Amino acid sequence: MFPTLKTGAVIQYPAKRTLQFNTDAIRFLDGTEQRFRDNPFVLREWNIHLDLLDEAELDALDQFFLSNQGRFGSFSFTDPWDGTVYASCSLKGDVSAFQLTGEMRGKTILTVCQNRT
Amino acid sequence: MFYFPQLFSGATAQFPITRQRTARTVVNQSCQSYEVKLADPGAAVTAWHLSLEELSDQELAALEALFQGVEGRLTPFMFLDPVDNLLAWSEQQNQAVWQADPLLTMASRLADPLGGTGAYQLSNPTSATLTLQQTVNAPATLGYCLSLYARSDQSPRVWLVRGSENDGRPISTVWTRVISAGQLQSTAQSINFGVALDPGTTVDIFGLQVEAQTTASPYKKTTETGGVYPNARFRDDSLSITTVGPGRYSCELDIINVEHL
Repeated sequence: MFPTLKTGAVIQYPAKRTLQFNTDAIRFLDGTEQRFRDNPFVLREWNIHLDLLDEAELDALDQFFLSNQGRFGSFSFTDPWDGTVYASCSLKGDVSAFQLTGEMRGKTILTVCQNRT
Repeated sequence: MFYFPQLFSGATAQFPITRQRTARTVVNQSCQSYEVKLADPGAAVTAWHLSLEELSDQELAALEALFQGVEGRLTPFMFLDPVDNLLAWSEQQNQAVWQADPLLTMASRLADPLGGTGAYQLSNPTSATLTLQQTVNAPATLGYCLSLYARSDQSPRVWLVRGSENDGRPISTVWTRVISAGQLQSTAQSINFGVALDPGTTVDIFGLQVEAQTTASPYKKTTETGGVYPNARFRDDSLSITTVGPGRYSCELDIINVEHL
């Protein structure tokens, strides 16, 4: 499970969610097109910007990154917009960084993406 | 062995600190967005960016001596992560890194003060003091802070083991965070940290943490590795120092730990 903050929240403002279709388009010589879908459904992606975290919250996110070995692992993620649970999601990248500018002033950015299963 | 020096404040770093972890995953992606992934844990990289301000002549000299000693990015040195717990398996005292005296009994998965179930109950049924400790392969000359949460229904105190020092700390029936901090007069290349129980006592413990600084920061759970990096290196071959006044210096450093080097 994706770690929650001490407030119980997963995400802070500004929060960004992306819906991603995957459409192939073949254009013919006469200009007409034939389109078809590669994915049977939309795939979601969440950009999670977190600020003013304390070290325990940063550590929980760090442990989560390590246990998933970057984008290798998969986990279930609850969409903070509507509460829908997506059973197979992964971190999008192999890099996780945080910055501590003072006590309880940590910030980090993570991106979670839904896997096609 | 070379090791990254502590500042006069006892800290290894100053704010702001940036730490970046990089994993490597081999991904085979089909045009239908199916993915086959393969992890490559040996290629993991951890990097720190440190900004040091208001360094004194002595602090700068120690830093320059390290940089010259390791010849820039050529050879490794010991780096103690300033934002991590130096102990491994901080919540699994049954792992091999922990050395428990033979008759010390342990019960795990008790409710802990942070709302989880990571606490342990240690019981000493003997008439001698028994210890649970872990050896950290880091220079004993540095200053360290050992901290843990403890409670007991019967024992008024718990002993914190920090190298050759044993500090008794009062505890009660409610969870209390106790610390033992300081610098030892030792040149050993490793140091033990742990707890010791008086004869015939039972103590609940949670959140053992060691940091190379003068006091405790919020508890951080660790698994197979703690924040000890014996093969860290400078990322660059250059070290730029800015002199902002007499005996006042600042610099920025990038340190990396690469498992496969």
